[in-house]
Amino acid sequence: MTTTQETRHPEPSTVRTPIRVVDSDVHPVPKAGELAQYIPEPFRSKYYLSHKKGDTIIYDAPDYAHAKAMRVDTFPDDGNFAGSDPNMALRQAIVEGGSDVCVLEPGFGTHYLPEMSQALCTGMNHWLANHWLDSANNWHERWRGSICVAIEDPPGAVREIEEWADHPYMAQILIRAEPRPAWGSPQYDPVWEAAVKHDITVACHLSRGRDDMMPMPPVGFPSYNHDFMVTYSLLAANQVMSLIFDGVFDRFPSLRIVLVEHAFSWILPLMWRMDAIYAACKSSMDIKRKPSEYVKQHIKFTTQPLDYPEDKTELTRALEWMEADKILLFSSDYPHWTYDDPRWLLKHLPVQMREAIMFKNGIETYKLPDTVPALDGKTMVF
Amino acid sequence: MSMVHSDGTSTPVIDASVHIHFRSNADFRGFLREPFASRGIPDVQMDWWSRPGGDHAEAAEDRDKGKDHPASDPDITGDWLFNQRKADIAVLHPMTRGVLPDRHLTSAVLAAHNEMMVSRWLDEGAYADRYRGTIRVNPEDITGALREIARWKDHPRVVQLGVPMQARELYGKPQFWPLWDAAAEAGLPVAVHLEGGTGIGLPPTPSGQPRSYEQYLGFSALNYLYHLMNMIAEGVFERTPNLKVVWADGASDFLTPFIWRMDTFGRPHLEQTPWAPRMPGDYLPGHVWFVQGSLDGPGDVGYAGEWLGFTGKDSMLMFGSSYPNWQLNDPAKLARSLTNEQRDRILWRNAAELYGIEIPAPAASR
Amino acid sequence: MSPRSPEGPRLAQGREHVVATTDEIKPGAVKIVPIGRHGVGVYNVNGTYFAIANYCPHEGGPLCAGRPRGRTAVDPDAPGNAVMVRDLEFIYCPWHQWGFELATGTTAVKPEWSIRTYPVRVAGDEILVTALPTGGR
Repeated sequence: MTTTQETRHPEPSTVRTPIRVVDSDVHPVPKAGELAQYIPEPFRSKYYLSHKKGDTIIYDAPDYAHAKAMRVDTFPDDGNFAGSDPNMALRQAIVEGGSDVCVLEPGFGTHYLPEMSQALCTGMNHWLANHWLDSANNWHERWRGSICVAIEDPPGAVREIEEWADHPYMAQILIRAEPRPAWGSPQYDPVWEAAVKHDITVACHLSRGRDDMMPMPPVGFPSYNHDFMVTYSLLAANQVMSLIFDGVFDRFPSLRIVLVEHAFSWILPLMWRMDAIYAACKSSMDIKRKPSEYVKQHIKFTTQPLDYPEDKTELTRALEWMEADKILLFSSDYPHWTYDDPRWLLKHLPVQMREAIMFKNGIETYKLPDTVPALDGKTMVF
Repeated sequence: MSMVHSDGTSTPVIDASVHIHFRSNADFRGFLREPFASRGIPDVQMDWWSRPGGDHAEAAEDRDKGKDHPASDPDITGDWLFNQRKADIAVLHPMTRGVLPDRHLTSAVLAAHNEMMVSRWLDEGAYADRYRGTIRVNPEDITGALREIARWKDHPRVVQLGVPMQARELYGKPQFWPLWDAAAEAGLPVAVHLEGGTGIGLPPTPSGQPRSYEQYLGFSALNYLYHLMNMIAEGVFERTPNLKVVWADGASDFLTPFIWRMDTFGRPHLEQTPWAPRMPGDYLPGHVWFVQGSLDGPGDVGYAGEWLGFTGKDSMLMFGSSYPNWQLNDPAKLARSLTNEQRDRILWRNAAELYGIEIPAPAASR
Repeated sequence: MSPRSPEGPRLAQGREHVVATTDEIKPGAVKIVPIGRHGVGVYNVNGTYFAIANYCPHEGGPLCAGRPRGRTAVDPDAPGNAVMVRDLEFIYCPWHQWGFELATGTTAVKPEWSIRTYPVRVAGDEILVTALPTGGR
């Protein structure tokens, strides 16, 4: 199918098909020159355009110079980066891959100035709305977007949330986990308040900053992408502990959090550890419930990257013990090199959990309809 | 002495972690030589994130009659461990004063603790034959550490070395390799434990300072994962096959999901780390142990034994009371769904094999 | 961008087929031919031809769209202590970079993870592949 940005696009089918796969993590990327126009002044001139553009890669994925940490088959022919072409993403992630609806999560780094981080987010939000969520590019009604905010600038974040909360295709708020201090600090309360006011889920995707916002482990920097990415989950584990022990869910009982691409099987021992601490220290704590209850009611995790042992029955047991059907959301991470194919992922889920994890939890979390316009030739996952 | 269970069976118990102290500052200074005896050194356990109400179990406070520091008297402590709590053997781990900025001072402080432990606890007293010792060494002073190892490695009751969890470079990096090589050559496992007290270091969580003691408690023990994954990727166990490491703050349950991740992510990264050619999980057996503490495990649930079998954890865990710490672990807290063999491994067999401790035949039979 | 599976009719299973001429596949290059469900990549590795299934056993990625190269070995005399050896003898999946030796379809770290290879021979200037896989999961 061919389409131009401004004018022609296919008509969506009048036949509607049930949503069976909600993909909670797909990464759109601006084409060269697409983003700058949306970054507000004075930040655009003072910080964005006045600084050198280039690769800042450290902790490089395998064969980075050639693959750029992407699936090698996702680069469009026009020389732009993987994930920059909505039509190609539609074909590969949805038609071939099998996802029905994709939650788009732009990448945005952390600037040392919170206001500049926020300006970048503002730019991303406008860019996404105009180049992926508009009628020319979302004619198929299968893209949803993220309201990117810099949590380290709470007033700015609230402003962004208020601006985009009613957009029909913005399905979540997107923050980062690297800024300090952890999320339990009261300085972030205005952000949670805006989220619950509009009843929008807050998701966090992993990122990279610099120095103490790399993230910086307490005992030294990892050497390789291997040990770096594996231990990255500890940042998310710490944020979970802060949300719970610092009482965020008591202050905001309707807040929903999603942790994207931070892995998830570690939540099982973390729930045990938090509950053991709660049992031992209850008398000096203010929280009202067992920590694992907060996890099951407020926090979800994406399935990608799926980690598993040689004996996959151990994964099955772990999924049962953590009540995975309550806390998992399928995700692919298209077009990154760590992509999980939905048909492959499905095989690893206990049969009775598949519907919840592949689409029911997603429909509830992102307030999606039950059906979308059908697409010719689209892969059926299950 | 051994522990008799409600079902009539009895099991020896090796307590793999007892934290011993000097009686007082004056006692401590008495083991320092000049010029270090005249240096400024923080008081013991001046932790920034200490537990409201104190770090010690009430039982421990009472024992030492409020005069001396808990776990500073070998007879009082021995009576508790061996007569009241029915352990057979206890592995002592001196807690010192912090990771001090002047590595020379730190090394002198550690040496004083080692001398006190050997002379007061291992070489004399009613319970000397029941104690085993951890020699503290300073990873920031490799020469001094090697000297300390040479001094104590042949003592018959010294069973391991001890280093702090806190570091500013991960333990897989090459500046630490001579220390691991010396430990392996001496046949001594290395126990890594959070150093109490005040000192220099990075904030204890990856988000900076925690706002609560509970979060500090929850996270700080997990720092071993940064060290362990780095040691694996750096090929430390490949180049030093006899190195054994004990993660003495527990949290062994996290090993399972994190090694799943390390393995799943491992295959694509082999070409970046040719010095670690095997799958990461293959480096665990024979190299990694844990002290099992009171916060560990899924609780008294039916699948606790099954979970313990994952990742071979049942060969890695060693019961430790952490006396006199408030977390005071108790063999009775072990989940009932563990098999007898799993329980025996945790209570004594894994420690007996690791430390070469012979349990007298009558205590070992059931 | 290589197609996932090549166009054209499937070549019959169990038989030997001429798939290319020798000057069609230069050293380091690949031609994907319509054998099997996902195609087979025929590689020229330093003058020897190998054929491997265009399907990664991990998550089903298009293996032969990957970049052939060598493996990394430890070399204490080289800067960075590492060198690449056996250039072009391995194929790495373009999705998760799982590597396989083209000659055998296996990988050193876990020999039991292997993929299907196909017998190749050269007759004159023709490359012949037998559509009968060996090995693999």
